[in-house]
Amino acid sequence: MRQDLIDIIKEDCALVTTGVSGALSALKGECVLITGGTGFIGTWLTELVAFLNDTYNFNTRLILLSGRAYNFSAKAPHLAMRKDVVIIERDIRSLLDIPSDVSWIIHAAANPDNRLHASDPLKTMDVIVKGTESVLMAATRLPNLQKFLNISSGLVYGSQPLELETIPESFRGNLDFTAIGSAYAEAKRMGETLCAVYRNQHRLPIVNARPFAFIGPYQLLDRPWAINNFIRDSLLGGPIRILGDGETVRSYMYPSDMAFWLLSILVQGTVGLSYNVGSPDGVTLRKLAEKIADHFPLRPKIISRVAEEGNSNHSKFVPDITLAHKTLGLSLKVDIETAIKRTISWNRCLLE
Amino acid sequence: MSTVLISDPTLRDGNHAVRHQLNAAQVALYAAAADAAGVPIVEVGHGNGLGASSLQVGESLISDREMLEVARENLVNSKLSIHVIPGFATINKDLKTAIEIGVDLVRVASHCTEADITQRHIGYARDKGKEVYGVLMMSHMASKELLAEEALKMESYGAEALVIMDSAGAYLPSDVTDRIAELVKSLTIPVGFHGHNNLGMAVANSVAAVQAGATILDGTARGFGAGSGNTQLEVLVAVLEKMGFSTGIDLYKMLDAADIAEKELMPVIPSIKSLSVVSGLSGVFSGFAKHVERISMEYGVNAKDVFFELGRRKVVAGQEDLIIEVAMKLAVEGAVK
Amino acid sequence: MRKLKVAILGSGNIGTDLLIKTLRSPFLECVLFIGRNMASPGMAKANSLGVRISDLSIEAIIREPDCCDLVFDATSARDHIYHWSLLEKLGKIVIDMTPAKVGEMCVPAVNIQKCSLYKNVNMVSCGGQASIPLAYLIGRTQENVEYIEVVSSVASRSAGPATRANIDEYIETTEQGIKKFSGCDRAKAILILNPAQPCIDMQTTVFAKVENPNMEKLKTVVDEMVNNIRLYVPGYQLVVPPVFENNRIVITVKVQGLGDYLPRYAGNLDIINCAAIATAEEYAKEYIRNLDYDDCDSVEEPYVNCID
Repeated sequence: MRQDLIDIIKEDCALVTTGVSGALSALKGECVLITGGTGFIGTWLTELVAFLNDTYNFNTRLILLSGRAYNFSAKAPHLAMRKDVVIIERDIRSLLDIPSDVSWIIHAAANPDNRLHASDPLKTMDVIVKGTESVLMAATRLPNLQKFLNISSGLVYGSQPLELETIPESFRGNLDFTAIGSAYAEAKRMGETLCAVYRNQHRLPIVNARPFAFIGPYQLLDRPWAINNFIRDSLLGGPIRILGDGETVRSYMYPSDMAFWLLSILVQGTVGLSYNVGSPDGVTLRKLAEKIADHFPLRPKIISRVAEEGNSNHSKFVPDITLAHKTLGLSLKVDIETAIKRTISWNRCLLE
Repeated sequence: MSTVLISDPTLRDGNHAVRHQLNAAQVALYAAAADAAGVPIVEVGHGNGLGASSLQVGESLISDREMLEVARENLVNSKLSIHVIPGFATINKDLKTAIEIGVDLVRVASHCTEADITQRHIGYARDKGKEVYGVLMMSHMASKELLAEEALKMESYGAEALVIMDSAGAYLPSDVTDRIAELVKSLTIPVGFHGHNNLGMAVANSVAAVQAGATILDGTARGFGAGSGNTQLEVLVAVLEKMGFSTGIDLYKMLDAADIAEKELMPVIPSIKSLSVVSGLSGVFSGFAKHVERISMEYGVNAKDVFFELGRRKVVAGQEDLIIEVAMKLAVEGAVK
Repeated sequence: MRKLKVAILGSGNIGTDLLIKTLRSPFLECVLFIGRNMASPGMAKANSLGVRISDLSIEAIIREPDCCDLVFDATSARDHIYHWSLLEKLGKIVIDMTPAKVGEMCVPAVNIQKCSLYKNVNMVSCGGQASIPLAYLIGRTQENVEYIEVVSSVASRSAGPATRANIDEYIETTEQGIKKFSGCDRAKAILILNPAQPCIDMQTTVFAKVENPNMEKLKTVVDEMVNNIRLYVPGYQLVVPPVFENNRIVITVKVQGLGDYLPRYAGNLDIINCAAIATAEEYAKEYIRNLDYDDCDSVEEPYVNCID
């Protein structure tokens, strides 16, 4: 991979670990399994651990389990060839054994691409439910498991009620469980229930994280999420088309913050709890489009089309991060402006 | 004042009415007239869309490339739009070229229960920075709940609006109200309606659609289109104006465009013939009409019987080859009697 | 009776249906049914039928290279490229059921003898299997074939996520096959999904634009061909015999599946599998002939006419 791209990531990792790397010292010399290890979350976790190894001599070993590991060496060759990274290609649904020296597990095997949820809700659910069951069962036979972090999803809350500014972990959510569109969210909810059962019945040290939305390197711009579309369309010269009047509110966390938060939750999170992971700073899509457009000298036009007068369809999806902040001391080191700036740089480099 | 976005497929759906024989001069003429009238979107192509010129549904006189190039030249303010059905049009052979020629809007369509075949085409057009709508054809063949599910898939793939088509002209206004309301409730993106006039309901259905929350309507000049034709555009524009909606279209110039269309594009003005009533009732794709007529005559069977049998077999658009089989069977049965 | 040892790579619907067909074949023995996921229903099915299973994917064959002579690869295009690179070195015959199509296109009714010379063959596509024999005949019996078109309608239920995500590839592959076997350089393929219940059988129509059609000649050879195809695809039927209508040749066929693992309406999947089995059996017959020849060599005098 090109040096300028590697440098962007290194700088990002340096920023989030400066002064706080000690919080993760329990990982020194340990072996960590990441399922779904070659996906967006897995790749960032690998980058961060690699940085900790190189800069702070953590000497942590990673095993990345993936059902489709073939493109990892093309995506991140500098990671694939590291001696402290081992890649195992295996379908998570039939995972039988975990190497006995694994003492930490991050279970991220799932596909958050909502196009796949639409076209194959069956496979989407199958991977999450059977996959989570398999890895939990295999984990019960590990001699020295310190912690199991289940990557759930902010989508388990269903749609955010208008009266909630941000969604706290205590919100039980509202999902239409008969709708095929709920397949992914329901499967993730089942995942958390399975984790609760394994925690109690099998005494596994499990903690959950509920990721919200992210933007940054390694995230493909063809993903059908607003911020990805805005950036992609701007790189193509615009216009940026906002659906609706632009008052829908979202928030975005930069993935270096995400990776640090996840490792912190793994190491220091309280067993049995679920933690929201994301940015509490909501921004309207209109504002977001404007922030993005600001980064282009030939400013792309911003067009919004109102779906229907009176039918506001204003939705919000913003986490309350008080729990992670107060109990684990976590905060965001990268604000939305910087996140946008670095994402655009990364993608511009890729296009060259 | 509420706005309704008009999309005009005179030069696409209209092609059905002339067995896809519209020529370059006709395309140029009408495109220019529609552009002058301020029609926001002008859709151009073979009746079954991009890449559909075939022995199955009929070969077009001029190629997709020619049609799109001449339309592109004659559209200054209006957007150039295409109708794309995966299974007919491929990305490599058809969509790539159309985008290079400079279409503005890509409407990717599937049968109303098969939205997932549109994922790649929608994704491709969005990746190229084009505006994309999702379209559900023959929408009377699914319940409103199923339509909403399929529409949500298209929304997740990147469709920026969702249009349902009454391809058989089978709807009554209350059917439209139900379906549009369900879609408006379920989707974040705008919803549109494309009517056909087999049962004389096209304009009424379009009115029901906007009253239920649709903000996009399709219509063609004089209703030029498959079977008994589409929603008559110049009438629709007048009605919308009367109801207090704004379309951005200059009514007088639209009437001129319709006059030009009548004179230059169509050998006959669309009307509801007996066979159209039958195809509307039997829920068969309006585009089958000319094929059914011809083949029924060849095999000496009653075209109405053929339509009802096709309806019973629940044929979808693109299955024109079944007409021969059905006609043959009816001919044999008739002979036996 | 000696049988050719085969392995099936890919435990999805195609692989499992192939398994059931091999169990019925007098020429083939399935020694290994291989997937990546023990939890897949195909694995359970194979196990219940007493067939040896493995979830090691291609590794299973690498570890025991002598276990089989022929491999059906029903995984994915990307995986097939990798599998072939290994299997070629091991000298295996591979029948490629994926869209990869790196080897020779095989349509048993047309070129099965030629195919047994190749080590990697593929079945083109479902629409291809149904239509190519007819396109071939059009190419052989008609002068000046300008253009051939194939339209296939299949039941929505028989088209899974993989089919739906690869319609463009299906179209391009089928067109390639039509051109190759008919000799005509202009071809078009169309695919239509129909959700009607009860499910429709696969229906394929072949159209051709020909200057001076010779319909009598065509009708005779088509009848013969349909009978040949029914030997390995029992559910293949002629629905509209060759007719010249609206300036085009029209032939319609229908395929109803055997209902082995998949329901009968999945004629599109069945025809490909039947073709694959027929091809494998051809290799098997070749193999057995050679075996017999070798055996006899050591026991009796060779079957050669000597000049006294």
